[in-house]
Amino acid sequence: MKEQKKYFKSPYLKGNEDFLHKEFSDKLPVDHFLADQKENNYGTSRRDFLKFLGFSTAAAVLSSCESPIQKSVPYLNQPEEIIPGVANFYASTYYQENTFASILVKTREGRPISVSANKDYEKITSHSGGLNSRAYASVLSLYDSNRLKSPLKNNNEVSWDELDNEVIKSLNQISKTKNKIVYLSPTIISPSHKKILESFQKKYNNLEVVYYDPISKSAIIEANKSCFGESFIPTYNFDKAKVVVSFEADFLGDWLDASHGRKYSSRRNPGTNMSKHYQFESLLTLTGSNSDKRVPVNPDEQLKYLMYIFSKLSMTKQEVVIENLNHKAILDNICKELQENQGESLVISGSSDPQNQIIVNAINYLLDNYSKTIDYNNKSNLYSGVNSIFKRFLDDVEANKVGALIINDLNIIYNVPQLRDKLNNIKLKVQITDSKNETSKYMDFVCPKSHFLESWGDANPYTAIYAIQQPTINPLFNSRESEQILLKWSGYEESYYNYLKTFYKNMSFKKSWNKILHDGYCEIDYKRNDYIFSSKVAKDITKNYNPSQSNKNDTFLVLYSKISMGQGYQSNNPWLQELPDPVTKVTWDNYLTINPVHAKKLGLKNWHVSNGALNGDVVLIKMGEKSIKAPVYIQPGQKQNVLGLCFGYGRTEAGKVASGVGVNAFEIHDNFNLVQKNNFSITKVEGVEHEFACTQNSHTMMGRSIVKETTLNEYLKNPKSGNEDFKLESYKGKVSPSELNLYQEWEPSVHFWNMSIDLSKCHGCGACVIACHAENNVPVVGKEEVRKNRDMHWLRIDRYYSSDMTKDLAEEKGIGAIEMYKMMEEPASEENLEVVFQPVMCQHCNQAPCENVCPVAATTHSNEGLNQMTYNRCIGTRYCMNNCPYKVRRFNWFNYKDNDNFDFNMNDDLGKMVLNPDVTVRARGVMEKCSMCIQNIQKTKLDAKRERRKVRDGEVSIACETACDTGAIVFGDALDSNSRISKEKKHPRTYALLEELNTQPSVFYKTKVRNKNKINKNV
Amino acid sequence: MSIMFSKTILYFAFFFLTLVPYFSNAQVDYLIGHDIKKGEELYKANCTSCHKLGDEKKARLIGPGLNPEIFEEYTEEWLISWIKNSSALIESGDEQAIAIFEEYNQSVMTAFPTFSDDDVRDILAYIENPPVEEVSIVEVLDVEDVQKESINTQSLLLIALVLFSILGFLVFIKNSLKKASKIEETIFQGFKKWVLSNLVIVIIIAHLGVLCLIVLGWQSLSKIGISQNYQPAQPIEFSHKVHAGQQGIDCNYCHSSARKSKHSGIPSANVCMNCHANIVEGPKHGTKEIAKIYKAVGYDVDTRSYIEGYEEQPIKWVRIHNLPDLAYFNHSQHVVAGGLECQECHGAIEEMDEVYQKEKLTMGWCINCHRDSKIDLDNPYYHGYNDWIEKHKKADLTVENIGGLECGKCHY
Repeated sequence: MKEQKKYFKSPYLKGNEDFLHKEFSDKLPVDHFLADQKENNYGTSRRDFLKFLGFSTAAAVLSSCESPIQKSVPYLNQPEEIIPGVANFYASTYYQENTFASILVKTREGRPISVSANKDYEKITSHSGGLNSRAYASVLSLYDSNRLKSPLKNNNEVSWDELDNEVIKSLNQISKTKNKIVYLSPTIISPSHKKILESFQKKYNNLEVVYYDPISKSAIIEANKSCFGESFIPTYNFDKAKVVVSFEADFLGDWLDASHGRKYSSRRNPGTNMSKHYQFESLLTLTGSNSDKRVPVNPDEQLKYLMYIFSKLSMTKQEVVIENLNHKAILDNICKELQENQGESLVISGSSDPQNQIIVNAINYLLDNYSKTIDYNNKSNLYSGVNSIFKRFLDDVEANKVGALIINDLNIIYNVPQLRDKLNNIKLKVQITDSKNETSKYMDFVCPKSHFLESWGDANPYTAIYAIQQPTINPLFNSRESEQILLKWSGYEESYYNYLKTFYKNMSFKKSWNKILHDGYCEIDYKRNDYIFSSKVAKDITKNYNPSQSNKNDTFLVLYSKISMGQGYQSNNPWLQELPDPVTKVTWDNYLTINPVHAKKLGLKNWHVSNGALNGDVVLIKMGEKSIKAPVYIQPGQKQNVLGLCFGYGRTEAGKVASGVGVNAFEIHDNFNLVQKNNFSITKVEGVEHEFACTQNSHTMMGRSIVKETTLNEYLKNPKSGNEDFKLESYKGKVSPSELNLYQEWEPSVHFWNMSIDLSKCHGCGACVIACHAENNVPVVGKEEVRKNRDMHWLRIDRYYSSDMTKDLAEEKGIGAIEMYKMMEEPASEENLEVVFQPVMCQHCNQAPCENVCPVAATTHSNEGLNQMTYNRCIGTRYCMNNCPYKVRRFNWFNYKDNDNFDFNMNDDLGKMVLNPDVTVRARGVMEKCSMCIQNIQKTKLDAKRERRKVRDGEVSIACETACDTGAIVFGDALDSNSRISKEKKHPRTYALLEELNTQPSVFYKTKVRNKNKINKNV
Repeated sequence: MSIMFSKTILYFAFFFLTLVPYFSNAQVDYLIGHDIKKGEELYKANCTSCHKLGDEKKARLIGPGLNPEIFEEYTEEWLISWIKNSSALIESGDEQAIAIFEEYNQSVMTAFPTFSDDDVRDILAYIENPPVEEVSIVEVLDVEDVQKESINTQSLLLIALVLFSILGFLVFIKNSLKKASKIEETIFQGFKKWVLSNLVIVIIIAHLGVLCLIVLGWQSLSKIGISQNYQPAQPIEFSHKVHAGQQGIDCNYCHSSARKSKHSGIPSANVCMNCHANIVEGPKHGTKEIAKIYKAVGYDVDTRSYIEGYEEQPIKWVRIHNLPDLAYFNHSQHVVAGGLECQECHGAIEEMDEVYQKEKLTMGWCINCHRDSKIDLDNPYYHGYNDWIEKHKKADLTVENIGGLECGKCHY
C-alpha cells in the first residue's frame, strides 16, 4: 500500500491537517477592502459595474482635460541655515524610559525626519553608547496624532494662563496645610530640572520629589548603599571584560543602559582577545541568545549559584550544594576563568533582590573588578527610583497625607494600577504628559509636555557627561517643557531657554555654551576615589545566606521588558509595534512565554492555521484578586516551570495604534518584584484562541549552512573553519558554483557597493530595522497583514534555533532522511539550545534571479552593483518575488497611505511629516525592497563630484550601517582598495548566503564565532 | 485769393493763439532743448531711492517729494548746484540750502559730481512733467486654480471631427435606407456603383484617411502630460528680461540654492527686498507689481520701514517646470557637476518677460542629453579609474557610461 507522506512546515502544523485539503480555507479577504463592511452583500452586480465604468470614464475624461496648477510658495524670510532640499543636522539628547543617548537629528525644511547616533559622542572615552530601536523610533512619536494639543482642566480645554493661575492658587492653599505636595517623576537626569525643583521646593516647602522608575533597579542601588555606603549605580565597562558572567541581566536588551551592546561587541572580534560570555537565565533573552554558553536556571537558583561562586572565590567554608552536576562543572570552570582574569572580568545580575546584588558586588570586589570593568566613580544617574521610597509615597496617599500630586511624564495608573482608586484622596492632581493616557482622565489638570525634539533640556546621565537637548522644530501644539511649567509655577517669568543658558554659563566647563550646544555633550573630569567594601556586609553574606527551599513544582512568573517596547512609553508608535521581538519574532503582541515541555504538561498549544499563521491557546493568570488573560507562546530554550510576560503592552488609552494590543503586565507586578513565585495560577481558557502575527514561522536551518558557525578554538587554528569552500558536482568534477555560470559576466564601472555583515557582532536587536523604516518610508501594515506574511520590512532579522538532529548524527544512528528532517524541525532541548541571528535584506545579486523574470524590466542591475527597483515601471506580476531565493522582496498589496484600513502614521497629515522627501511613497501594486539607501549613495557621490574629490570610505550613510551600534554592518566601495569593505571581502570568514545558487550577492556575511570549546554543528 | 489766404492765416493764428496759454502752462523753459526721456532714465537710476514724485510732504521718503512747485521756490542755477553738490552749497552759507539741511535733520543729500549741467536740466525737465500716475491696485497674490492645457483644443477638435464623420455616415445610411425602401435605385446604390467603378481612388482615400487619424491620434496621445510652452500667469508680473537680461543680475543671486540643492529655489521675499527696499518703481508696471512684494512682507514705502506686527502673506508662484514626483532631479548635479548653463534647459530666460517651459521635460529628453553629455574626467572624482577610462576610449565617455540611463539613478 502506498503511504501518503506528509511534510510539515513547522512542528506546530502537525495535528492540524485540514490545510492540506484546502489551501484557502477562507475566502480571499479582498471584499473587506472593496465594499462597505456593514453590507452583507459584497458582490458587484453588472449594473454596478457599468455604473463604475461610466463614472470612471467620465472622471478620467474630465480630469485629463484640466491639469491642476502647482504652486510654489517660497519663504518670505528664508532662515539663513535652511536651503530647501538640503538636510540640516542638530546634535541633541534622547532621554526616555531611563535610556539616554546622544543623538543627531536630521531635519528637512525644518521638520525632523530621523534621529541617529551622534558619531562624535561615540569617540569619547568615559562613556560611549548608541541608540536602541526605541530611540530610533522616537521621531515618529513626535508626529503622534494622540499627542495633547492643549492644556486640559477636568478633560476640557483651557488656556495656559487659566491653568497656571488655578494650579498656583491651589498649590498655595495646600502648602499652608500639613499635607504634602508630591512631585512624582521618573528619574530626572537634567541638572537644570533639579535646580528648578529646588526653587520650586523653596516656594512650596512641603514639596517632596519622589522618583519612580516603572522597572526599577532599586536592588543595585540598595546593595551599593550597604556595601559601599553610598546609593549609586556604577557604569559597566564590557569593553574591558574578558569574562562576562550574567545572571538574568539582559544587558544587550533593556537592562540599565543602551550602550552596553557597543562596548560588549568591541570584545567580540574573534581572536585571542575575544571575551567569553556566560549567561544564566530563565527566559530566553536577547543576551542569552548571544552568549557563548547559556545555562537555563530558574530565578530561585540564582542566589545559590552566586553563592557557590562567592564561596569558591573567597574560600569560605560555606557549603553550597549544586544538584545539577553539569551546572556545577560549568560553575567550577567559570570560577577558574574568573580567577585567571582578575580585573578583567565582570559578574552582573538582573535580580531585584538586594541580597543577590550584594553577593555580585562581593564577587566583583574579590576579583578586583572595581574601577576596571566596573567604574564606580563614573556613576550612572539613569535610575534613581528606590522602591522603598515609592512605597512610602503609596502609604502616604493611603493615609491621606498627600494634598497635591504633580506627575511628570509618567503614566502612573498604567504602571501602578492599584493607585487608581486611591487618587480620590488627593485634592489637586496635575499631570505633565505629552499625550493623553490612562492616567489623564483621573487628573484635575493635564499639561501638554513638548516632545523632546521640540524642547530645550539638558542631561547628566553619567558623572562624566553633560549633554544638551535642543529643539529641532517649533512646538507643534500648545505645549511647554516640564521645566518651563515648573519655572512658571515657581514664579519665574523667564523662559527656560534663558535659564538653561545662564545655568550652563555658570557651570565653568571647558567648552563654551555654543560649543556644548553644537557638539551636544561635554565631558568633564571627575574625582576618582576608591570605595571600601564594608567588612560587616562581607561577613554577613554567609550568615544571611538562606536559600529558599526549592520544590520541583515551583512555578515562576518572570516579568521582563523587551528592547522594542520597554515600559510602554512609546507603545503608540506603529514602527515599534511592528518590529518583531528579537527572539520570538512576534509583532503587535505580548504573551506568556512557556517551555514546550511545560506547555504540553498543561495542555497548552500553539498551532498554525491554513494560511500559515500562528494561533495559540489563551490562559487566565490569577494572582490574588487580580487576573489577566494572556495568550501562550511556546518558547524553546526557556526554563521549565518558568513563565515570562513582557511589559509595555495592554494600553487602553494610548491612541489608535496601541489601544487594545496585548495585556498589561504591570497589573501583576506585585510588590515591584520582577519574579513572582508560586503566588499565581494559570488556567487554560477554553474555546478561545489567540491570533499571533509572527514574521518567522520556521525555526531551524534544516541542516543547511545559512548561518555559518565555528568556535574560537577552531577559528584560531584555521580562520576558514566553518566556512569551507562550497563545491558542486559537475562534469568537470567538483567545482565552485561560479565556474558553472549561465550568465554573462558582469563588471562594475566606477563604484561597486558592497556590504558585509559580521554575524559574530550582530545581536539581532532590531535598531537597524527601525532606522530603515525611517529612512525609506517603509509602511506599517498592521497585525492582520503580518499574519498573512505581508510585512513590508526591507530588512528582517532571521533567528534560527539549533536542533538536536544533524546529518552526521542521522548517519551515525541510521535515521532515514524523512525522519531526520522531521527531527531537524524541532528546536533543541532547553539546555542545548543555541540561537543565531542573521539580518537579511536584498542581497543585490550581481547575477540576480529576480532581474531575469521581470517582464517589464522594472528591476534592473546598475553599473555599481545594485539591484534597482523602479516602482513606476512595475506592473506587479510578483515574478521577481517568487524567484528571489532570499525572500526579501515586498509587494504593496494595498495603498498603505491615506487608507482607513491601515490607520497608522501614513493615514494622517501629522504622521506623514516623518516621511523622507527623497524617497518615493510606494503605491498599491508595486514591488519594493532594499535599495541600499540609493538616495544617500547618490547624494554622497554628488557631494564628491561637486567638491571635486573622491568619495571617502565610510562617507555613504546607509541607514542600517549607521544604526548598527556594534559595527556589525560595513558598507563601502569594493573598487576602492583601501576601503574597509574591500578588506572585509577578502576575510577568511566571509561567505555569500546560499552561495550554491551562484547569485553572486553584493552583500556577504562573516561566520559566527562562539567562544567555546566544542563545535555544535547542528545550529 | 489774397483774402482767402489771409483768412486762412487768420484762422491759423487764432487757433494758434488760443493754444498758446495751454502750451505755455505746460512747458516752461525746461521742455525746450531738454530730453525728458533721458531725464527719466537718470531720475530712475539715481534719485528714486530717496525721492518720490508728488507733494513735498506727502511723498516724502528720505528726501522731499518732487513736483513742479520746486521751480517756484528755487532758481534753476540753485537747483543745479544743489543737486551736483549740496554740501558745498550749504558750506557756502546759502540760506535756502541751510534751511533744507536743517529741515531734514542735517542729513546730506548724495552728491552727483558726474552729472553735467545738461543732465541735471534733463532731470529737472522730467520732474516738471511727471508721468500720469498709474492707479496701483494691489491684487490678491493668487491666480486661478485650474489652467486649461493647449493639447485640449486639439483633442477636442479631433473628437469632434470623428463624431461628425460618424454622424454624417449614420445620417447617410439612414437616408439611404429610407430611400431604398421607396425607390428601386437609391442614392446608396448609386454611391455603391460609383465606389465600385472608382475603387482605386476610394481605397487610396480610405487609406489616407485612416493614416491621418492614426498620426493625429498618436500625436495627441503622446502630448498628454507634456506641458511644453506652458506659460501661466504669475501672481506678480515679474520679468526675467528686466532682471536677468537688462540688469544682468546673475541667476544665482536669486536662485541661490541651484548650486547646493536639488531645488534651484525661488527667492524668498527678503531677497527681492535687498534691492526693492529702494527700487520702488519698475520700468514697465511702475509701482503696481513691486507693491505686491511690499504687501507680502508688510513694507511701508512711505516710511521705508517694515510694518510691525504685520501678518505676512506668502507669494504663491505658479510652478512652471513640473517633474512627476517619481523622478528625482537635482539642480546642483547639473549646474555644478555637469557644468550646464541654466539656458540649456530653460531656454533664453533672460529674454522672457513671462517665463514659459522651453523644453519638453520628458524622460526621452533627459536620456538623450545623458547619452551625449561628456563627463568631466578632469574632476578628481574620476581619477584612478584608468582601466575603465581606457576601455571606453576617453573621448567617448558620456553620462551613459556612469549609469546615466539606469532607472535607479533618478527613480527611487
